Amino acid sequence: MFIKVQLPWNVIIPCEHMDVKGLMLQKSIILRLMEDFTSKKATKELGYLLAVTTLDNIGEGRVRQQTGDVLFPVTFSCLTFKIFRGEVLEGTVHKVLRHGVFLRCGPIETIFLSAQKMPGYQHVPGESPMFISEKQSKIEKDVVVRFCVIGTKWVETEREFQAVVGLEGDYLGPV
Amino acid sequence: MSGEEEENASELKLGEDFVKAKCLMNGEVAMILEHRLEQLQQVSDDPLNQMPQVFEKSLQYVKRFSRYKNPDAVRQVREILSRHELAEFELSVLGNLCPETVEEAIAMVPSLKDKGRDLDDEAIEKMLTDLALVKKFE
Repeated sequence: MFIKVQLPWNVIIPCEHMDVKGLMLQKSIILRLMEDFTSKKATKELGYLLAVTTLDNIGEGRVRQQTGDVLFPVTFSCLTFKIFRGEVLEGTVHKVLRHGVFLRCGPIETIFLSAQKMPGYQHVPGESPMFISEKQSKIEKDVVVRFCVIGTKWVETEREFQAVVGLEGDYLGPV
Repeated sequence: MSGEEEENASELKLGEDFVKAKCLMNGEVAMILEHRLEQLQQVSDDPLNQMPQVFEKSLQYVKRFSRYKNPDAVRQVREILSRHELAEFELSVLGNLCPETVEEAIAMVPSLKDKGRDLDDEAIEKMLTDLALVKKFE
């Protein structure tokens, strides 16, 4: 799900950049906020950080004792993407293996649909391997599949989410 | 592999960080991200290259998966769904998946049938018909 959320953060402007006034200072704060935001990529709580939409408030700056840098508390709104257990989503197959397929959905690359979680489908090996059901519907590379999220996992080292999904339920499967 | 215990989208539990958050439909996200891309195009020759990967992948996704391409249609869809006292999350799932029948809508969003809600099959049916009309005249 794509979500718009308001967040309080602290932005630190190095002291050597503090010779600016008024609008220029505001600009440095915005640029620094956007840099910090982008380099974070994702957090466990908020999901993937996509874009800052508005800067809603800049608080009083506070000089930090040791370095002389100035810390500004800011409030801003941003767009995030997080995948939730129980959510129904659509994604595109990008890899077919004997034990299941991998899908992409939004910024997430590693969504695993296990063969055990697609009842009625059989694996067909070959040059372009696929899973095929009794009703001839096919799950192969580049096919769009509607699935339900069974579990999600935050991988700290990669700063990314992974998910396992299934087709057990009505109206799920290739679209 | 398991989600946080307190998180479960089918029961509308999204965790405490999102209590006041607003869910967006794919079409709305496409409008925001494309606007941001245009802003960058004005200051850079190669804006896509400067975009973080998560931005680029999300933009591709919402463009591909939005049922409604036209910004006016996207606004109408939110307006129609807003008449029905839906939770933010429910509204966006319905707008994204565009179920065709009442049965399908309930399969996608089981919380529509929670106890104590004033949303009968007839109201859901009406909502889906209105959505289909927007798509037809887009």
